[in-house]
Amino acid sequence: MRRITIDPITRLEGHGKINIFLDEMGAVRNVYFQIPELRGFEKFVEGRPAEEVPQIVSRICGV
Amino acid sequence: MSKLKIASYWAAACGGCDVAILDIHEKIIDVANIADIVFWPVATDFKEKDVEGYPDGYIDVTLFHGAIRNSENEHYARLLRRKSKILVAFGSCATMGGVPGLANFKNRDGILARVYLESPSTQNKEQVLPQTRVEVPEGELELPYFYEEVKTLADVVDVDYFMPGCPPAPHQIWAVLQVLASGNLPPKGAVVGASDKALCDECQRVKTEKKVKKFYRPHEIIPDPQKCLLEQGIVCMGPVTRGGCSAQCTGANMPCRGCYGPLDGVVDQGAKYISALASIVDANTSEEAEQIIGQIVDPAGTFYRFGLPGSLLRRARNV
Repeated sequence: MRRITIDPITRLEGHGKINIFLDEMGAVRNVYFQIPELRGFEKFVEGRPAEEVPQIVSRICGV
Repeated sequence: MSKLKIASYWAAACGGCDVAILDIHEKIIDVANIADIVFWPVATDFKEKDVEGYPDGYIDVTLFHGAIRNSENEHYARLLRRKSKILVAFGSCATMGGVPGLANFKNRDGILARVYLESPSTQNKEQVLPQTRVEVPEGELELPYFYEEVKTLADVVDVDYFMPGCPPAPHQIWAVLQVLASGNLPPKGAVVGASDKALCDECQRVKTEKKVKKFYRPHEIIPDPQKCLLEQGIVCMGPVTRGGCSAQCTGANMPCRGCYGPLDGVVDQGAKYISALASIVDANTSEEAEQIIGQIVDPAGTFYRFGLPGSLLRRARNV
């Protein structure tokens, strides 16, 4: 089985990669989209004052 | 003169640094006149294998944004270090950890559990956590390893210049690009695109005497738009933060949170701020001092908002 890897995917905000698996005839058997990125805002805003959270989570995406 | 080859890459970042580069507006055309872009995921389609195919030292300047959060971030740091003559730690995350560095108040297991198992919007009955390798019917897939703690760029590779800011101010970016293109380079290790004076130096607010009896949260006070925020009892990191941003936040009635990092000679911005507070708290007894300081909510998360991984503390212990 042949594999085409697109890494990184581009012209968007964030990280991603795509693996495309092709069978012997060159037809697409399956495609996997992966996001290799995690920062954990959900966790590290815990304990921060509510009024500070907008400034923190604005750094989730700056694009 | 041949054109510069420049790259811009994001590790654990938000993309705001890339947008700040675009915020030099029409001067981006001048950049195109002096430089060719050879890798820039947000804007161009070069892939990892393209970069791997470049000879070592092929890239003249790489602007590296983002912290080192996982093994892929470190891989790109090492790859781009090898391929670049000049590597610039660009923005708060690359220079000192940035907002993603707040994760160093937590630990790896706690973050993974919260995100993938416990968050109210997650359905994960099989309790699946990301794996670095997984077998699928068609072959094997890989994901980076999520590190125990966030690191700065300089923690993993040799860095030539440090350009702070969340994000760096566009006028500073333009100035730095011109300097790098001129070949008249600052000494290695220099902080570029920033002032060597504290933010207060460029903050237009009127400063008189700093004597604070009470610290306020936003719902407790309407700040005087002319007066120093810290003198009004609003926690502002200006005195211990490098200037160069044109004091945009304080100009908009928002206190500084320290994104330009510490001044020369200061190893720990948060500790420096504690020292600064000690000299402005207007208390007659230690109990009163404790009561006033106690009004500051989340001192650690505020004083180390952008710089925990690059500080002396680096991370919280036993969390």
